[in-house]
Amino acid sequence: MLNIRHTKLEEDAILLRPILRTGKAFYVAVTILSALTLWGIYAYLTQYRTGLGVTGLSRQIFWGVYITNFVFFIGISHAGTLISAVLRVTKAEWRRPITRCAELITVIVLFFGVGSVLIDLGRPDRMLYVIRYAQFQSPLLWDVISIGLYLMASSIYLYVALVPDIAILRDHAGRRGWLYRILAVGYAGTEQQHRRLEKTIAFMAVLVIPVAVSVHTVVSFVFAMTIQPMWHSAIFGPYFVAGAIFSGIAALILAMGLIRRFYHLEEYLKPIHFNNLGILLLVMTLLWFYFTLAEYITVIYGREPVQMAIFWSKVTGTYAPYLWGMFLFCFLIPLPILSFRKTRTVLGTSLASTSVMIGMWLERFVIIVPTLTRQRLVMGPPSYWPTWVEWSIMAGCFSFFIFLYLMFTKFFPIVSVWEMREGREKSMTEFAERLKTYLPSKDVSH
Amino acid sequence: MELTRRRLFKIAGFTLLGLSVKPALDVFSKVELPEPSPIAGPSAVKRWAMAVDVKKCWSIEGCTDCIDACHRVHNVPSFPGPKEEIKWIWTVPFGKAFAEHDQDLMEEGEAEKPLVLLCNHCDNPPCVRYCPTKATWQREDGIVMMDFHRCIGCRYCMAGCPYGSRSFNWRDPRPFIKKINPEFPTRTKGVVEKCNFCVERLAQGLIPACVEACKEKALVFGDLKNPASEIRKTLQDTIVYQRQPELGTKPNVYYLL
Repeated sequence: MLNIRHTKLEEDAILLRPILRTGKAFYVAVTILSALTLWGIYAYLTQYRTGLGVTGLSRQIFWGVYITNFVFFIGISHAGTLISAVLRVTKAEWRRPITRCAELITVIVLFFGVGSVLIDLGRPDRMLYVIRYAQFQSPLLWDVISIGLYLMASSIYLYVALVPDIAILRDHAGRRGWLYRILAVGYAGTEQQHRRLEKTIAFMAVLVIPVAVSVHTVVSFVFAMTIQPMWHSAIFGPYFVAGAIFSGIAALILAMGLIRRFYHLEEYLKPIHFNNLGILLLVMTLLWFYFTLAEYITVIYGREPVQMAIFWSKVTGTYAPYLWGMFLFCFLIPLPILSFRKTRTVLGTSLASTSVMIGMWLERFVIIVPTLTRQRLVMGPPSYWPTWVEWSIMAGCFSFFIFLYLMFTKFFPIVSVWEMREGREKSMTEFAERLKTYLPSKDVSH
Repeated sequence: MELTRRRLFKIAGFTLLGLSVKPALDVFSKVELPEPSPIAGPSAVKRWAMAVDVKKCWSIEGCTDCIDACHRVHNVPSFPGPKEEIKWIWTVPFGKAFAEHDQDLMEEGEAEKPLVLLCNHCDNPPCVRYCPTKATWQREDGIVMMDFHRCIGCRYCMAGCPYGSRSFNWRDPRPFIKKINPEFPTRTKGVVEKCNFCVERLAQGLIPACVEACKEKALVFGDLKNPASEIRKTLQDTIVYQRQPELGTKPNVYYLL
């Protein structure tokens, strides 16, 4: 039993430090992020007033950066809850310091995923028509349901695992007491409460996995359900899910690298964590390559003219820089870094992750835009280059995401205090017990 | 039975959940027919279709009568350049619209000649399936309609249409309309629009504006269900083409080559 009310914090006091003390670096970061966010808002207001004509989009290529961001952000969301849930379900003990940080990415980034679609709407004032006049045959409705469910489930998942830490803050922080008192919902760490908490977390962890898989599957269906060349493909569901986990792990490693550095959590987010996540990222790198190969080789071998026209525009045509950039950032750079133990360091995995993030954004772009050149139709030379409005809104989205993430770390511990403590106090013996069950129970040597 | 706080919450929760079932069911089960548009009259048994006699169309070079008539009647704005262009009926080079035809064997210059394109009003319209709000739907007479007041501007129908028949209002179109026809609604920025087979004229017993405007009688319009109609006779004893029939959308615009 862990009775938090009467334990001392000494050991993990550093985890609460960002909440109790705020340095100059934080204010500098917040100022820059706020400025960029405000700039993004200004750009959106311009678009809202004048219409989507201020973007580089056209009658021909009518989806661009915003829809790319939508798929990218939803992809990143798999960082979190899915990875944390899978690690919890499989009882991977090394998960303890990273779950919170992963779950938080999910919850925040989902708002930006949904937001990107709303930014792309011609009549955002009518967005609720999607619910009022819902037409369930449309894959967009499947997205609404699936993402809505995911947002709810992952918010609950994040919150439930946060409750014991809020209780710790209520008892130790000495400030914002009223806030923590409300949010802690009377949690005192009694045996019954703890059991209930564990049960809820275990249930949510299992629930969240199929929901997460469905989310990126239906996002891919937005494209795969059309009869457009190189979109209408059965591989899109699994391909998008794999890509989402790929970019999700990368986002997680990157966030952990930054948190470790700025909050001096070297003792918590250790090289071993980066190594383990690095191996997962390596697996996803290879899986990504496999899916990409499968996608392209079926197109090439089929030689359908409409498909080939899109294919060549990607491989040697207008979109070649994006496609080969994607290949470089998603595969050629991360693969060698992640393959060797020597380079699978904190810095190494962080670099590989940065590369994967860039690569996966390009991948989304390369999936969406070239198909819209619509080779079936011939409509004049296709060209799309995002304008300052699109770049500004994109910068605003990224800045605001980091801003919210940063603000969270000022209110709640980004490394789960109670889970660390539980690991130390309980799991050591539990793990030894579990290990015994893996081994032959009697001496079988005679 | 002791009523603990926990149990009370449980009961309250389940009660709330139970009470919300009915309203939720109402939301999802309500079959909402699209609001009847004032210009969409009932003509249930008909099946409207159009035929384009390409050779007749080419007999006057550079003629754009049908396009002008349509765009004038429907308040279609004329934007400079292809980026924000809005078009209900337009032309593309023949060789490109029917790219599967062997162009080496065509008469010289034929591949470059203009072919009239418009919404195909497919029997099996993909755009209708993609629309998340039923802003686009199919009437019983086959005409694929657009409700400009319900469109949220997601452009998914544009992604779904394999013919590029749909245009989006990238900005307020009104300043770009040469002369506003008060009989037909103008659109706002941020909505999709396309050819409506002149439902507003059909309701008055008139033929579509483009068909009426064509001096060469290259456009034939009528009801496919009526064996005596001109369109049936035109399509009867000849080989006709549709755009991309392999997609299974069953276009109702036919081409006589």
